[in-house]
Amino acid sequence: MHIGALTSVRSNLRSAPGRIAHRMKAFSRFLALSVLVPLTFSARQLPAQDWVHTGTNLGAARLRVAAADFKPVGSDPQAPALKAVFDATLYSDLGNAGIFDLVSKSLSPQSMPGSPQEILLSQWADAPANAAMVAFGALSADNGRLVVYGWLDDTRNTAAPQVLGKQYNEVASQDSARTVAHRFADEIIYRLGGGINGIAETKIYFVSSRTGSKEIWVMDYDGQNQHQVTHLGSITLSPRISPDNTRLAFATMGSAGWSVRMYSLELGRTVSFPAGTAGGSNLSPAWSADGTKIAFSSGRTGDSEIWVSDVNGGNLHKLTSFRGPDVAPTWNPRTNAQLAWVSGRTGLPQIYIMDQDGANVQRMTDGGYAISPSWSPSGQFLTFSWNRKYGPGAPGGQDIYVMDIASKNWLQLTHESGSNDFPSWSPDTRHIVFERTIGGHTQIWSMLSDGTQQQQLTHTGNNFMPNWSWK
Amino acid sequence: MMSTLLEGDEKLERELVPEPIAAPAMGSIALHIALAGFLVLYGLLGGLFHHSIWGDSGQGGAIQVNLVSSALPLPSDQPPNQNVLATETPSQAPAEATPKAKQAVDENALAISGKQVKPKQQTAPKTQQHQPQTQNNRAQYGEQASNSMPRVLQQSGSSGPATINVGDFGSRFGWYVDEINRKMVTSWYKAEVDPRTPKGARVYLTFTIHRDGSPSDVTIDRASGSTTLDRSCQRGVQRVDSFGPLPSAYNSSTLKVSYYCEY
Repeated sequence: MHIGALTSVRSNLRSAPGRIAHRMKAFSRFLALSVLVPLTFSARQLPAQDWVHTGTNLGAARLRVAAADFKPVGSDPQAPALKAVFDATLYSDLGNAGIFDLVSKSLSPQSMPGSPQEILLSQWADAPANAAMVAFGALSADNGRLVVYGWLDDTRNTAAPQVLGKQYNEVASQDSARTVAHRFADEIIYRLGGGINGIAETKIYFVSSRTGSKEIWVMDYDGQNQHQVTHLGSITLSPRISPDNTRLAFATMGSAGWSVRMYSLELGRTVSFPAGTAGGSNLSPAWSADGTKIAFSSGRTGDSEIWVSDVNGGNLHKLTSFRGPDVAPTWNPRTNAQLAWVSGRTGLPQIYIMDQDGANVQRMTDGGYAISPSWSPSGQFLTFSWNRKYGPGAPGGQDIYVMDIASKNWLQLTHESGSNDFPSWSPDTRHIVFERTIGGHTQIWSMLSDGTQQQQLTHTGNNFMPNWSWK
Repeated sequence: MMSTLLEGDEKLERELVPEPIAAPAMGSIALHIALAGFLVLYGLLGGLFHHSIWGDSGQGGAIQVNLVSSALPLPSDQPPNQNVLATETPSQAPAEATPKAKQAVDENALAISGKQVKPKQQTAPKTQQHQPQTQNNRAQYGEQASNSMPRVLQQSGSSGPATINVGDFGSRFGWYVDEINRKMVTSWYKAEVDPRTPKGARVYLTFTIHRDGSPSDVTIDRASGSTTLDRSCQRGVQRVDSFGPLPSAYNSSTLKVSYYCEY
């Protein structure tokens, strides 16, 4: 039974002393009263601002959510195929979100409610579904248009169950069915996930050698819809998408060695980035969160150091000046005022952080072989690839770790499965995508940021260096 | 004379006849050249690819800690446990001392009359020399069990009240009240509270949630008596960017929330 409802009755009784005799002591009485509550409120004028009283120890269990199969409306021959794509995508998006305890399809009722009038909430609230929330709706394909009505209901609140109601109208195709499902799932995740945007519509950029040369590819966050972006015919590495999803910075092998170049997704061609082509190897670009600056490593002074320039290549300056290589920068996307990078000043590569002017250098890892840092969008965590017991004959493996920056406490996410590298955070801080090599085959995997729900996203050719888009 | 000369010649000849050592000698020389070549190559390549890139191995760098913390935005299925076996870094705490066995006293023994019982020499307890505690400047650092990484805890029991003072928000949008609780469990960091705070101490806060879910005007309504608890709870709310947008069916622009943190 709902605590909120319970206490609302209590407070209401306080404001109506005539009913104090009814102070409930038994559950049955409370039930009767909860029917009275809406009546008493309808008689009163609603105030401008509500109050709610709440506190700790109320539990933070995963919310149990059910996704009903959507009801097909109309007799268009396309509809069943679209419905199948939609249902599967919505279900997998809610499962991938990492914050729900999703009711398995085998436990949910067989009914397909198409509107709030048709749904029988008790069916979903009771065992075996036991859902606290249920997503349902109707889908029709008419005259080449896909129309989807989606609702989200609170099953425990029969008086006013609706949490969300949405309508989508798109061209009828498999892709748009998937897109609509992603949007509806993101809406649910945004509502129930504490205001953090869902990632169902985000993309993952990566390097693939499936065509023979290493080019940049892109796919949906769940591995669907993979297609090639660049056709340079060279070796292309470390793609980094700009925060506004319009440009791609990457390192490529040219006539003058390794250079950092820029590809415009709007123009479909490479655009000028003069800062990234000077002598020496220029590698591993990284965007600042406001999209105005790029950090990269360059060996133009003879020693590999971190350099920063504006997006147009101007205002180029060097951040580090230490003997030993400094590579793989990444910005703190939250403050935009710090960078993490890999430095070999003390021997084996270690993760360091510094302010964006090069001050305040701190070492984060205490040993081993630590590379490929990625800073979480919340600003609180780093993820990186680390071989803690590095050395000839040492028992360590290359695994993905997450470190709480303030406390330097870390958590190992992958265990004894291949060699793992190049982790990249999702914009919601709940997911990490990375590359895993098993038996000479390198593929892209994703997981929740606590290491659970690991799943392989690519299966063709060899695929490397994933980068999760910012939105 | 001749015969002895001949004999000597014969001897000489016998000695000069080559034993079949040429092939093994060549093999040995080839092996040594190969070994030397391998060593030179190894040194060259090893120096090239390992040392000149990453320098010598060794410790270095400073560790500095700022105290801020928060959580992975994922619910945890288990509460954190302090079980040292759950981590690879064992506790520094010494093992508990075993109590000394008492000297057995024979209760059936009769005292011999006239025998002087020597009073046991009471050794004065040695005053423990003051040992200055070496300050441990090392950052707390090391692997931890996955469930002690700061993140959302699942807490059992539902004793706290979610009460509506004015209006019917709680009954109409119970799911949103649950959301406030879920979010606060993530962001309130109990470790910030002074451990001497009595269990069950509560601080009541009030704050306002705007339409976009962002909190403001965090004030202490009723202090707990422990400033660290008060402040940690307040920080917990301030750490939240958004509790999620207010329900679209809710008409007002803000929601007033009273929230308590119980230690």
